This record gives sequence, C-alpha cells and structure tokens, in this order.
Amino acid sequence: MAGGLIRVRELKIDIPKEAKNLAERMLKDLENSKRPYLEAVKTSLDNSFYNSKVGYLTPGDKVVRTELNVSSVQKLARVVFMLEIMLRNLGIGAVNTKRELYYMCKGLIKGNARYKPLDFEDQNESDSIIDFIGDMMKVYREELNCFANDRGGQTYSNQLIVQETMPDGDRATVDLSTLGTAPFMPKNRPQSLKLKAKKKIDFALVIESEGTANTLHTMGFTKRNNCILIGAQGVPSNGVRGWCKLIQEELSVPMYFFGDLDAYTMQNIFRTLKAGSAASLIRNADFSAPDVKFLGVLPEDVKKYDLPHYKVKESDPAEARALKKARDVLENDPFFSDKKNKGLADILRWLIKEKVRCEQQAYFSVDPNDPIKTEKIILEKIKRGSYV
Amino acid sequence: MSKITKSSTAEYFAKNLQQVGFSSPLKAVLTTLKEGVDNSLDACEQAGILPDLEIEVTKVGTGSTKNTDLVKIVVEDNGPGIDPDDLAKVFGEYLASSKFGRGQCTRGQQGIGISAATTWAQMTNGRGVTVTSKTKGMRKALKAQIDVDIKSNHGLVRSKETIEWNKPHGTRVEFAMDGRIQLNGDGGLLTYIEGTVLVNPHLTINYKLAENDWVKIERVSNQSPDVPEATLPHPHTFKLGEFITHATLYGKVSVSKFLRSGFSRVSDQALQEMVKKHGLPKGLLDKALTGLSEDDYKKIFQAVQNTDLMAPSTRSVLTVGEESLSKSIQRLGETDFFAVVTRKPRICDFKPVVVEVALARFTSRNQDADSPVQLLRFANRVPLQFDKSGCAITWAIESVNWKSYGVQQPKDSLPLGPYVFAVSVTSPFIKFKNASKETIDASEELVQEIRLALIQAGQKLSRHIKREFKEADLERKLAHIEQFGPILVEKLAQLTGANEARRKKAEEGLKKILGRDSKDAIAELEEAEQRLAKQKAREARKSGEDDGGGGEDTVIYHGQVEDSAEAAGGTKKTTEKTTAKKAPPPPPPKSTVKGTEKTTGKKA
Repeated sequence: MAGGLIRVRELKIDIPKEAKNLAERMLKDLENSKRPYLEAVKTSLDNSFYNSKVGYLTPGDKVVRTELNVSSVQKLARVVFMLEIMLRNLGIGAVNTKRELYYMCKGLIKGNARYKPLDFEDQNESDSIIDFIGDMMKVYREELNCFANDRGGQTYSNQLIVQETMPDGDRATVDLSTLGTAPFMPKNRPQSLKLKAKKKIDFALVIESEGTANTLHTMGFTKRNNCILIGAQGVPSNGVRGWCKLIQEELSVPMYFFGDLDAYTMQNIFRTLKAGSAASLIRNADFSAPDVKFLGVLPEDVKKYDLPHYKVKESDPAEARALKKARDVLENDPFFSDKKNKGLADILRWLIKEKVRCEQQAYFSVDPNDPIKTEKIILEKIKRGSYV
Repeated sequence: MSKITKSSTAEYFAKNLQQVGFSSPLKAVLTTLKEGVDNSLDACEQAGILPDLEIEVTKVGTGSTKNTDLVKIVVEDNGPGIDPDDLAKVFGEYLASSKFGRGQCTRGQQGIGISAATTWAQMTNGRGVTVTSKTKGMRKALKAQIDVDIKSNHGLVRSKETIEWNKPHGTRVEFAMDGRIQLNGDGGLLTYIEGTVLVNPHLTINYKLAENDWVKIERVSNQSPDVPEATLPHPHTFKLGEFITHATLYGKVSVSKFLRSGFSRVSDQALQEMVKKHGLPKGLLDKALTGLSEDDYKKIFQAVQNTDLMAPSTRSVLTVGEESLSKSIQRLGETDFFAVVTRKPRICDFKPVVVEVALARFTSRNQDADSPVQLLRFANRVPLQFDKSGCAITWAIESVNWKSYGVQQPKDSLPLGPYVFAVSVTSPFIKFKNASKETIDASEELVQEIRLALIQAGQKLSRHIKREFKEADLERKLAHIEQFGPILVEKLAQLTGANEARRKKAEEGLKKILGRDSKDAIAELEEAEQRLAKQKAREARKSGEDDGGGGEDTVIYHGQVEDSAEAAGGTKKTTEKTTAKKAPPPPPPKSTVKGTEKTTGKKA
C-alpha cells in the first residue's frame, strides 16, 4: 500500500527521496557553517498567471526563500519535524487530516520536554507548515497523504452512479437516485471515484448555498431534469473543486454556477471554482473546473425578473473589504484582466459602480404563487444562453 | 397671548446650572473646587505671588437631595485678597469678571463659574459661600456669607464680621453643598489635583480629600509665571454680529480709529488696501461709529475680512516650559522615563496658541498595559476632565501613529500602555465647545499643531522604547538559538540517517551561524543605547547643571523647542531614522563580542 492511496495525477517525483535529498543538503550546509535554506513557490497574485487556453491560474518563477537565521530557525525546525511525520505516513500508507496532524504534533511535542518550543498555539500554525511543505516540494497535500476536513460538495442526481475504490481494493457503487433527499458527498478525495451516467446528463449546476441546492432537489428539480446538482457551501474546498473537475472530465457535461450577485461571490467563490486560487497555485491544475459558466444572478436578471435587491452597506467592514478587493482584483488579478473573462470583470465593475447586491434566493420571490419558479428561471436562462 | 417676561442672568443660570458644570452631584463638587482653585491661581499670578493653596473636600453630612452627601469644600490661598467692596460682585453676580474678553491667558474668562457654585450651594443647602478675605492694607480680615439674589443678579452680603487672621493677605472660600466625592478616574478630584500640580510647577498645595490624610506637594519652581499683557483681538476671528457688538464699546469714534485701536494688526496700510483693493468707500472710514447703518457695518466687515492682515502676535501666550514641566512631572510619581515638548507659539485660526506635551511612564502607578493611556488635557492650565471624545487634544492623539514609536494603539483610538499623556493648550482665545469649558473645539489647524507636538514627544519616547525592544529582541533571539537549533539538527540527522560525527559537526556549524546573528542583535542594541545616550547628553547640555537629580533610570528631557522647529518635518524625521536603522550597525566593541560568543556558546 506504500506510495499513497489515491493518485491525483502521475507524479514524476519520489517524495521520500526528494525529502531525503533536501535534508541532506541542509545538513551539509550546516556542517560547512553555511546557512541552509528552503525554497517554495510564491503563492500570491503577483506570481499568478492566467491563460484562458489553460483555464486556471498557474505559478510564475517567483520563490519564497527561507534562510536559516535566528528568526526563521523556529519555522525550519517545525518544517523538518512535520516532514518527518508526513514521510512516515507515506511510508506506511497512512492518511491523516490536517487537524489530525495538528493534534498528533501536539501530542508528540507535549510528550517530550525537548520539543516543547515547537508547540503550535492553534491549527493555523500547523496548517501553514503543511502547506509550505507542499509548496516547497511542489506536491499536493493529498500526495503527502494529508487531507483537509470535508466541506461542501453535497450532490444530488437521478442519473449519476459513483464507483469508489476502497483502500483494500474493494469497490463500492452508489446510485445517487436511491438516496432520497440525502446528498452524496465526494469527501475530500474525489480522484478515487469513477462516474457513470444512467441516462445522458444535460447539465451540472453548482449552487453557492448548499441549503438552496437541497431545496431545489427536494422540490423535484433532479426528478424533472437529467442533471447533477451540487452545493458548494461557500468558497469551494479542495474536495469540491476536485469533484467538479472530475465531473467535467469524465462526463463532459456543461456546468453552471448559480450564486449571489456580489463581489465576494464573484471573486472568491466563482473565480476559485473556475480557475483556482493564488494560495493553491501548484494545485489549480487538478482542482479547478475551467469550463464552468456563471449563470447568475446576473445584473440583467435583476431588471428582467424584478429581483429584490438592496444597497451594500459600506459601513459594514466585510462589505467594504469585498468592494475594495474587487477594485484591487480588477487591476491585479490576471483572471479578470484576461479578455476571455471580460464579461465577468464587467459584472465586478457593475457591482462597484452600483453598490448593490442581490441574493440567489431572490428568485424565490419572483412569483409567490409558483413554488418552482426558481427552477423555471434557471432552465430558461440555460436555454436562452443567459450566462457568462 | 401669554405675557412676555424678562429674567435676569442669574435666573437663567440658576435654571441651567448643568450648562456650567453642575449636571450631577459628582461634577458639582469637582466644578466648585475647580472654580475656587482657578480664581486663587489667577489672582496670585496677577499679583506676582507664589501660590500656597490649602484645599479640603470632606463629607460633613447627608445631602438634602436623594443620594447625595453634604460636602464641604474649602479653598484657601495666600493671594492678594479681595477688596471688601468687590466681594458681593465676585461671588454673587454673574458675568462680573475682571478677565472677560481681555485676551489674556487666564484660567477664568467669563465670570460665571464661582457665582454658579454659590448658586448651587444656595439651592441645595440654603446658604451661599462663606468668604474670608484680607488684603495687604487691612489689619483684620473680613468674613462674610454671600448669596446670589437670583431675581436681580446681584450679590447679597450677609452676616459680615471682622476677624483676626494670621495671614498677611489671602482669601478663603468655604462651600457646603449637596454633592458626591469621587477621587479617581477621569472625573476624579485626585486626577484634577494631579493635573493642576503638573502644569503649575510654582504651586505648593496642601490638600485633604475625603477621609484621607493631609498631603503636601511643594513647588518645584520659584518663578511666578509672567502672565503676558492682554492682547487685542484679531479682526479675522470675528463674525459680523460680534464685530458690531465690539463697536458699541467704542462709542463715538471714527471707523478708522475703531479699527486701529479696537483690533490688533490693522495698520494704516491695511486701511488703504481696504479702500483701494476691496472697494470700501473712503468716506466711510471717517464716519463716526454711531452714525453707521447695518449695511455700512457689513461693508466694513467684508472689506476687513478680504484684506490680508499680519497674523496676530504670539507674545500674549504663556508657557509652562520644558524644564519646569520636567520637574513638575516628578511630583506625580516615580517615572521610568518621560519626554516633554514645548512648541513655539503658533497662530491657529488667527489666534496665538502654545501646545505643550509631556509623555511619561510611571513605575509607581498601577496602570494596565492593555488599557488606554491616562490622558490629562489642559486648556490655559486648567484640567479638562469630561467629554474627552470630542476634544481637539483627543483627536490629535488618535491621529498620530503611535505604533511607529513603539507604543501599542488600536486603530483610530488612544494608544495603550502604562503611560500618562499630558497635553496643554494655552491661548488667550481658546474656543470651547460649551460654557463649562470641558472640551476644546477641534479646528483643523489646532489639531495639526497639537499633533506635531505629540509627534515630537513621541520621537523622544521612542528612543527609550526602541532600546527596550532591542533588549527583548536579543533575549528572544538567544532563546531561539538555544531552543530550536538542537531540534533542527536532530531531525535533519534522523531524516538523512547521519551518524553522530556529522550531527556534532552540524551542531557546531549551527552555533557559528546563529552566533553571528546574535552578534548583530547585540550590535543593534548597542546602537540604540548609543543613540539614547547621545540624546541624554545633548539634553543634559541644554538644560544646564541644575537637574542632577535624574538617576540612572530617570531621564530628564529638556529638548529645545528649536529642534522641532521644522513643524512638518516630524514624519520625515521618522523615516530618516528608520532608514538609518536599517543600515548595517557599526561593529560592536571587541569586549562585548567576546562576551557574547561565550554566552552563546554556553547557552546553545
């Protein structure tokens, strides 16, 4: 079982060997009284590139170099400490979540007085060390047998059949149509799944709010339509992004995103789903769904369906931040400056100008007498090609 | 239609005492004490006498109104005394003042405060104020009770008697009124006394508050402040209405004479400019004030406003001075370090203003590191204790980025830490937000001027804080080397399967590398110490020999006003400093380096 449970991609490097080389180099530097250093891909917007043909954000040449000095010695010691645990996991084929690793470290540190200075005050501290190791070795966290906790990706469909290969080699088959109103969740390792369709699937719809996805399903959306309905639950996690990528690749169905009309949804949720994020530059290739379209809420929908909407309160720090960030991304985010995404950038510009927001749930208020009006509008929009 | 009646000034104030500082039993006691002390200090200063004050605020019974005590407030001074004929006016009549609108930096201005205190005592306890007064020429002192005749706004003298008083001259006022005593906190009596002590280095005070024992604080300066001569107002500070009212004081004189003698900075040349450039009919200048129509007034006023006039003189303002402030601050407790700044007089909104700042960290006061600094605000050397959020001083403090001086500060708020920030604004024309003089109106120019003073003081303070920071940084770095170094080597050796010899060699290498870092940190600390020592030496040179009292830890600053002269240069200076800091530090003296090597080696 050694070598990992899930293959996200064909990995060209041997992680344990690379890690050992790295440690060897650092030790040698120390022996020669030279400052050892670690280098990792710089994961920020200024090192992000976007090419619409590739479809996701890719890293540039910039690296972050952490050289040993009195201030960085703590980080380097922590990196090496965590690396040892992760390599051990890889060696025996064990898998742990980030949170589990945090508590494992805490246990080991507290159990040995000498390690005490390494102690993490909260999980953020150990998470950033784990991410740094991934960025440094240019491997996915998942390839280090470390997963985030599950969030989002609740999926409903009457046509979709999922086959999962279990760690012991057995296969499990899930027919989503048998789950009633309960969702199927891809968990955080969608790459271990195989997909089949009972009947031709017409489209997949990713909804920002998981609750709304469940409501539509409960009202019969998936019964009346050959589709896959997915709840993103806010900013899509690695699991959701990998899952959407898998659906797109295996079933090649058109995919739409339906969420709020506000700056946060556009730049944080939709952009991350479609092209990945600057923080996950080295993972975007396998954790983004470049073909997904923004179905709404579109500015034109507000007028066309007379959707209830309201002014953004600029005194609200979160809203003010989102608007400021929107101005910022229009200038600096290569995704929004690409010609291909002009339509999306235009929406951001409109939001900055009008300073309004409209929730995805506004569709429910369009016709109070029609319980499935939202479904009708969604279908009509898909048919009309009213998306960006 | 209901009948229109006319009420006296006293009637108005009697009904609106909350407007002049009597809005609660707590404030009533503080305001009364304040008014008594203000009058005493002003009188002493005007007579050139070094003030010796005796203050007593005690609870003597239960108050007539709910939840109050009967509080006795006594203020006794060694001032010139009050002429017996003036007693009734001073204590029993509103707006009877020797200082109103005179353009002097006196504490009292309007002649409301002490009469209001008399009214409060009369309304809550049935008796006004008991005054004992003796002037130089009197053999015996006069003691009398004075009430306010509210209907007519006149003072009534009751039970007058002459008594023996062993003082050559002086005044003693004694109130008994409903109130409550609060000692500490923003509105506390002790806070008031501390503030007064700070900005009046020439004051000796002996006080007893509530059940506490008598406390005596001696003066640290034997010089009575020279209250500058009164100054005439600058016309650009006037509104049309004020301008017309001001004119009525001058009777039947010509407009040109009125403008020249009623205001400062109106020269003949300025008058000519009004006529030539701003269309003022020449004939109007020769017309008598009494013959002017409202329209004429408007024309004159507009011409005056449009004419460029010299800024008013700054000679009319008075300062405490850096040296006196430095000494005075020691009277509040033991300081760790402090910085004082006295700015040169400036013109803000056409009014001369002086800002003085004292920042101090006390070792003997139990102030929390996480709570806001204790702020002492002063206007014309009177502590301001209420409504600090709207005050120009508070705005200025909040606008400074204290983080760059090493002091913690939440966004747009007062900085945090065990510091006392004392800011004093002195001007013959301070604009207050209300009649109770609790808040200085925040004009942009004034806030900027206070801000500059704060920045200068902050820069001085930062030298100390930076030195402390470097010290802590060195400690942290040494600890880091000791703690993390061995783990790093151990884990690397495990990952590579290196043998003991390699591990040892790597450990040696690590010690060398980190030893270099700690040397740098030591050098930085030394540099910070050298800078501080230079500053101390410079300031000691400037202040002369007479302050040898500053021990090892107590540093006395007497930074010259000049060194802050480039007003707007404050921020620039900081940047320069920061840049300088980034430059490679000078090599540390050999002996220290050796010592460190040893320490590092041993510790690691």
